[in-house]
Parts: sequence; structure tokens; C-alpha cells
Amino acid sequence: MARLRRPAVIQIKAPQDFGAGVLFIVIGLGGLIFAQDLTFGSSRNMGPGYFPTILSVLILVIGLAVALKGVAIEGPEIEEIRLRPLVVLIATMLLFGLLIKTAGLVVTGTLITVLAAYAQAGVRIRETVIFALVLTAVITVVFVYALGQPLPVWWGEN
Amino acid sequence: MDLDIFGHLATGFSAAASLQNIGFALLGCLLGTLIGVLPGIGPIPTIAMLLPVTFGLDPLSSLIMLAGIYYGAQYGGSTTSILVNMPGEASSVVTCIDGNMMARQGRGGPALAVAALGSFFAGCVGTIFLAGFAPLLAAFTRQFNSPDYFSLMVLGLVMAVVLAHGSVVKAIAMVLIGLLLGLVGTDTNSGLTRYTFGIQELWDGIDFLPLVLGLFGIIEIIHNLEHPSRQQTAIRTRFRELWPSKQDFKESWAAVLRGTGLGAVLGVLPGGGAVLASFAAYTLEKKVAKDPSRFGKGAIEGVAGPESANNAAAQTSFIPLLTLGLPSNPVMALMMGAMIIQGIQPGAAVMTARPELFWGMVASMWIGNAMLVILNLPLIGIWVKLLQAPYRFLFPAILLFCVIGVYAANTEGFQMVQMAAFTVFGYILLKFDCEPAPLVLGFILGPLMEENLRRSMVLSRGDPLIFLDRPISAGLLAAAAIIIALIVLPQFRKTREEAFQE
Repeated sequence: MARLRRPAVIQIKAPQDFGAGVLFIVIGLGGLIFAQDLTFGSSRNMGPGYFPTILSVLILVIGLAVALKGVAIEGPEIEEIRLRPLVVLIATMLLFGLLIKTAGLVVTGTLITVLAAYAQAGVRIRETVIFALVLTAVITVVFVYALGQPLPVWWGEN
Repeated sequence: MDLDIFGHLATGFSAAASLQNIGFALLGCLLGTLIGVLPGIGPIPTIAMLLPVTFGLDPLSSLIMLAGIYYGAQYGGSTTSILVNMPGEASSVVTCIDGNMMARQGRGGPALAVAALGSFFAGCVGTIFLAGFAPLLAAFTRQFNSPDYFSLMVLGLVMAVVLAHGSVVKAIAMVLIGLLLGLVGTDTNSGLTRYTFGIQELWDGIDFLPLVLGLFGIIEIIHNLEHPSRQQTAIRTRFRELWPSKQDFKESWAAVLRGTGLGAVLGVLPGGGAVLASFAAYTLEKKVAKDPSRFGKGAIEGVAGPESANNAAAQTSFIPLLTLGLPSNPVMALMMGAMIIQGIQPGAAVMTARPELFWGMVASMWIGNAMLVILNLPLIGIWVKLLQAPYRFLFPAILLFCVIGVYAANTEGFQMVQMAAFTVFGYILLKFDCEPAPLVLGFILGPLMEENLRRSMVLSRGDPLIFLDRPISAGLLAAAAIIIALIVLPQFRKTREEAFQE
């Protein structure tokens, strides 16, 4: 977080706390704004908006406190962010959700296992493909045939 | 209510101990350990992943298999702690300290054996404790009314906050966010949808499995990939090296007894359970030891005490769930989810309405525990092999387990979108050093808490003093207030930090 080290009007002393505070503020505000359409009611007769509003306000207050603390008191930096594992794994999950119904477990499982391996650098492709095939075969036998899980096995089964 | 413990247990065993059910217990144990032993995968994601597997069975068999999975996952986690020094969850952190030191000194076998035997003993005692105590508590809870339930939940959440790592204030925020997330979906009272943003799939609320597996399972993989140095190698252990020496037995039996007693009591507390029990047991062992300096250098009591305690607590933390219908920690929340799917609403009513199911479940816990000793110890060679597998093979396999688990529970593509969303959220939490465990408990309790608050307010016509007028509720709130006061006091805060540092 080099950009935070530049001299600024307000120096953030604890980026982790500050970030957490901002996150809580966003969630609290979001909770408040989207609870506006719901009836608040009264404590005697709580509407659907009553409890969410109370929670959102509390989250907002804590958020402000944590963010202020992050500005004022020295604390840890945010760890380096490496997007590769996050992005690859999320793509893998979404692909599974997209394919499983039509393509079946054998094709989808093999494909996403290979894809997931790319969350790390230095993939040995032959080894990975063989591993993916074996893993998918074992999982298919155990989960679908032995334990009767509701997953299509082959392409076009559904 | 009659209190014939052994008569009840006999009912349970005759219902549970069919050959088929024992088979399911075995399979559950095997699968639970298989996943639980994988480095960094604690009981929560393990159980979440395997939960759907049990859905197709009849209620009793499914609960029996689940018990097997639960104990398998717990013990798998201990194995990883001892041999790899990588705790899957907070309750096995203390096992790492002396367990891993023992393994490095070539005494990994005895450490594993003492952990298993101590756990089994604790499990037996825990089962009897549960059988004797649950009916009593169930009778007591007849006096519970909405305000008391609400205050009990407050106490449980306060405990969850205290037991979370890191900043207390952040943990409180996490609980509140969990409560808020729990409210997403259709409001049971008004029938209106809340926070659904026009997404039809959210009308039934956010699904539990994608939330848990996103926040814990996938995030753990990402965390390990970002820190390759954390991928430590396992210390080799073989079956014939397992048996503890006479000296080991002599040193550990008292620790097992102390751990069991402490764990059984602490497990019943709301928000308690395995984590609190294992930390407390470790501290106790260190206090009573003649030579406390041995701790941290491979003292067998440092494995025997906490391992017995966390298993006893794992057993008795079923008591609040089965008598009050309230889960005291995220693992119990998962169990509750599984029971509801099987059409059983946990609570005192199960005991009287379906005794064969209730006592069968209690018996199945014992069966699950026994399977563990019979199965896991002899198979130690296989678990070690699994631990030695390179991470480049393990993590795609874990990912595949996670997606299949989530998808099998509810065959909708939207499940994956939810899991992806919680992975991103979990990543942000990871970077901002916010622990997600309190959020999970809040998530489960959200709707229950709102409902009981609403009922209390209707009872009192909007007067919040009702929570202080009722003695049970006032007592629970006082306990919560004392705990908060203790955290704020600097002296206690220091001890808590030290406890987590270890």
C-alpha cells in the first residue's frame, strides 16, 4: 500500500483497521438505505424494518469507531494482495455452476480441476490432467454411484 | 420426566445399533477424517462439505453418519495438528503446541494414540453426561419464555465474541453483520422480502453451505496459496509406533480425567464448546504440572488434557441444541441445519415426541466415537500419506469437494454465485483481519433472535424492561454484562491475548 505512505492531509496509521471500519460503514449504510422501504413499526409492534434498522445503525457506529481508530492509532499494514488465486478459483466455481447441468460431472469435474490448478504458477499440464481424470473418476464413483448424490454424470443426461 | 439414564440409552442403542447404521457410522468417520485431515480444513468446512451426502438417508441413519463425520473431522484435525503443526481450527491450536513437539521428537505415535484414547474416554463420559443432564435441562427450559431465549442468544453471541481471535470490537461487528445476513429473504411475520434486490433465489434467504464454504473452505485455499511457506510437511508415523509407553499412560491419565471434567462442563455453556474447553484444559494442565517448563517442549499432558476436553465439550455442546433448540457454536449450527432438513426441529419436544430418535442420536454419538478409535488409529499410515501429498494436488481436490457439496445440497447454479460472492467477501475480511466465525453464529441466530425479540415486545407492550423483570433473562443478561466488563478490564484482556498467542 505504497500510496498510503505519501504525505496526505490525514495520515492513516492502521490501514487494516481503517479498511475494516470503511467496510462496516458501507454495510451499515447499505443496510439502512435498503431498510427504508420496509415498515419500521414500533417496539410494541415491530415491523419488518425494525430489527434490520437497529442492526445497521450498530454496525455503522462500530464502523465509524474502527475507522477513526485506524486514522489515529498505529496498527498493521494490509498484506499484499495477489489476485491470481482469488480470480482463478472464483472463475472455477462459476464455471462449475454454468456447466454441471448440461456437461455432467465427468467433463465438468475434470475441467475445473485442471483450471483450479492454475491458481498457482508453474502448472505441469500432463500430470495435472491425469490427476484431474483420476480424481473425477473416484469422486463420481463415491458421490454419485455409492452415495446417490443428485449430479448428472455424463453430457446431456439432464 | 423419568431419569432412567441407562434405560434411555438402551432404547437408543437398540434403535441405532443396526448393522446398516454402524456401516453408515463407519463410512461417516472415514469420509470425515479423509477431508478433516487435509491441512487447513477444519471441522466446519468438512462437515459442510459432507452434509449433503447424508440427506438421502432416513433421519436416524443420516444423524448417525453425521455424528461419524463430526468425530472423524475433529480427529482428522488433531492428526494434522500433531503431524504438520497446522491447526484446522481454533480448538486444535493448543494440540499443535505439545503434539507437534512430540512428533518432532519421534513420539508422534503416542501423541496420536493418547489423543484418540483420551477423546474416546471423554466421549463416553460426555454421552452419559448428556443422557443424564439433557432431560433435566429440558424440564427446566419449560419455564423459558421469549425474553429468556433472547437473552440466552445475547449471552451466546457475547461468548462467541470473546472467543474470536483479534479485536473484540471487530468481532462484535461481525456478529451484527451475521445477524443482518440472516434476515435476508422473506420475513416470516409480514411475508415481505428483505434485502433480496429482486433476486428470486434469495427469497428463502442466503444459503448456509455456500456461505460457510466460501468464507472458510475456499478462503483457506487462497490463504495457503498466498503463503507457500505455510505448506509444511508431515512427520512420518507408522502403526507399530503408535502404542504409548507405560510412562506415557502414567503421565496422561490424570490429564484425561481433568480435561474430560472441564470440557463436559464448559461445553454446555452458550457460545462454549470445543475451543473454550481446549484452551482452558491446556491452561489447567500447565497450572497443576509439577514442572510447567516441560510444556511447549512435548509434554504429553498438553495433548491429553485439551484433546479430552474438546471431545467432552463437543459432546455436551449438543445439550443446548437438543434441549433449547439453540446452537452454541457454528458446528452445532450445521448439525441443526441437518436436523431441520430431516424434518426434526431440535428442542425439548423431540425427546418426548420421538424418544427413539433422540436417544438413538445420543447412542450414535457414542458409536461415532468408538468407530474413531477402531478405524482411525489402524489407518494412520493412510492419513499420513494423505498429509504428505503435495499441495498442488490437494487444493484442486478440496475445491472440487466444496463445489460438489454445495451443488448436491441444492442443485441450482445460483449456489455457485453465492459461494463466489462469499469468497470475495471472505477475502476482504481476511485482508482487514476480521475473523468470520462469529458471523456464522450470528447468521444462524438472526431470524430466531428477531422472532423472540418481537414476541417479547408484544408480551411487554413495547417495554424493554421485560428482559430485566424475568429472573432467568436478567441472570443471563447479567452474565453477558460481566463477560463484557471482563474483556474491557485490562488484566483479563492480557490473559486472553496470551492465550491466543500460544
